[in-house]
Amino acid sequence: MTWTDLAPLGVELILLAGALSLLIVDLILPPGDKRILGIGTLGVFLAGLLATWTLPLDGLALGGAYEGDAMGVFLKRVFLLSGALAVLAVQGHGPKAWPRRQGEYHQLILYSVLGMSLLSGVRDLILLAVAFELMGVPLYALAAWQKRDAGAAEGALKLYLTGAVSSAATLYGFSVLYGLSGSTRIADVAAAVSAHPSPLLALGATVAVAGMGFKLGVVPFHMWVPDTYEGSPTPFIAFLSVGPKAAGAAALVQLLLPGHGALLGTVMELFLVLSAASLVLATLMALPQSNVKRLLAFSGIGHMGILLMAIATGTVDGLASLLFYLLGYLFTNAGAFVVVHAIREDGGDDSIDSFNGLVHRSWFLSGAMLLFLLSLAGVPFVVGFWAKLFVFMAAWQAGFEWLVILGALVSVLSLFYYLRVAKAMFMGTTERRDEVPMHWSVRLAVSICLIAITGMGLYPNPFVAVAEAAAKAFLG
Amino acid sequence: MITDPRIYLSIAAVLFSLGVYGVITRRNAIGVLLSVELMANAVNLNLLTFGRFVTGASGQVFTLFTIALTVVEVVIGLAIVVLLYRTRSDVLIDIASELRE
Repeated sequence: MTWTDLAPLGVELILLAGALSLLIVDLILPPGDKRILGIGTLGVFLAGLLATWTLPLDGLALGGAYEGDAMGVFLKRVFLLSGALAVLAVQGHGPKAWPRRQGEYHQLILYSVLGMSLLSGVRDLILLAVAFELMGVPLYALAAWQKRDAGAAEGALKLYLTGAVSSAATLYGFSVLYGLSGSTRIADVAAAVSAHPSPLLALGATVAVAGMGFKLGVVPFHMWVPDTYEGSPTPFIAFLSVGPKAAGAAALVQLLLPGHGALLGTVMELFLVLSAASLVLATLMALPQSNVKRLLAFSGIGHMGILLMAIATGTVDGLASLLFYLLGYLFTNAGAFVVVHAIREDGGDDSIDSFNGLVHRSWFLSGAMLLFLLSLAGVPFVVGFWAKLFVFMAAWQAGFEWLVILGALVSVLSLFYYLRVAKAMFMGTTERRDEVPMHWSVRLAVSICLIAITGMGLYPNPFVAVAEAAAKAFLG
Repeated sequence: MITDPRIYLSIAAVLFSLGVYGVITRRNAIGVLLSVELMANAVNLNLLTFGRFVTGASGQVFTLFTIALTVVEVVIGLAIVVLLYRTRSDVLIDIASELRE
């Protein structure tokens, strides 16, 4: 093996080198002000993003276990951006709340993004298992970050237990697929499944996919989502609610869609049922929530239902709509959580009531939050509308008319609970008239998300074209 | 030496099912962790059996990876359980509290 064999892994190497040098710098720095670590991490993410445009990332690596293509590059940008936003938004909070643990926080985010990045082009079951864990294990530690808080420990334990059970189930499915096909290569497994379909292979595929469903947080594997969101640092949730979900969707795409994995036919019904259940149950459970983080948690479960719908189509259009959806969802959801973080920093308690009369205290935050909520609901002129529309169009063409109608109905219903937050912001009353204090990093993160969702909402075409090219490159 | 792979695969399936049963019924976090271990060991036994009888050395290689992954998970899991014990002085979990306000 030579260094040129590792060329498609350029982004991963940058992340790894960044994380390891952060470890050393953290040890060298005197205890005290460690703000430089956060800036360094942002630099690593920016270098990785730059590398997705400048380095040649196509081709096979690791003896064929990894293959870089246009879809992988697209997904890597989503992962790197989600990591960068989470790190950016914590720059005001971190040095105050846990000044001595900044190095660990940033490193764990880097390792998690490294795992996701590997998932974007995985062609082998062993690498898939390892990359999934590399993504997941740092998340367990990060979820328990506020370690004096009993809610954080409980939320982290739920995330951990569902994660560990789902890994075990996924690995059991992998072991059956491996044993019956005789190879760890995803393409060989798919060939064996289509050549000799057997109930046992179907069982293996179903168990593996169900295990991944746990990580995505689709119904009925969603129990951890609201509690973990409630108990963890909000900038981390801005990451957890976007990056790992996109990576889970990427892993499912590698396993299921024709071209490489092609197991979709085996688990199609399961997918449609899970998608419908996530859409309906998430909306019903979001309606009575009084905590914004729990509300956004259930809203996220509903969005996973739409992701599953996009994957189940198995077409170029469906995959392109999935990629565009992930990009839009990244900025929308991360932006919403960063606003929630800003309110929390101001002394709020994540309840809808703490948003009362926000418009009198910050035009910027209340306007931004309104746009994020409208984008989550799928209202025109922000990116969420196009993202949902493209998924629904692809699903309609694939013949899932009933699921599309259900999805559209649920979207209308979801406006109701999103607008409850908007109502508190614009019609609620508050005694306070002081401006909401905002660290520059929070302001910057919200501005980036805001520009992205309105930009993609008004001019979706260039982004859709990139997503389509990526989908064509993958499906061939 | 039993030379029928089906026996080993059946033992693995039983182990896995016991693990799933334990995960669902146990309320003590340590008990759930042990059940997850059972599931992970079912995976290892499956992989070793396939490697020995069907596919060759790649099964053993896969097993080494899964063992390492399980160890990593258990380390962090126990750390979280200790953390929970420090804040609440019990390790009982109630996974179905999703409807609480």
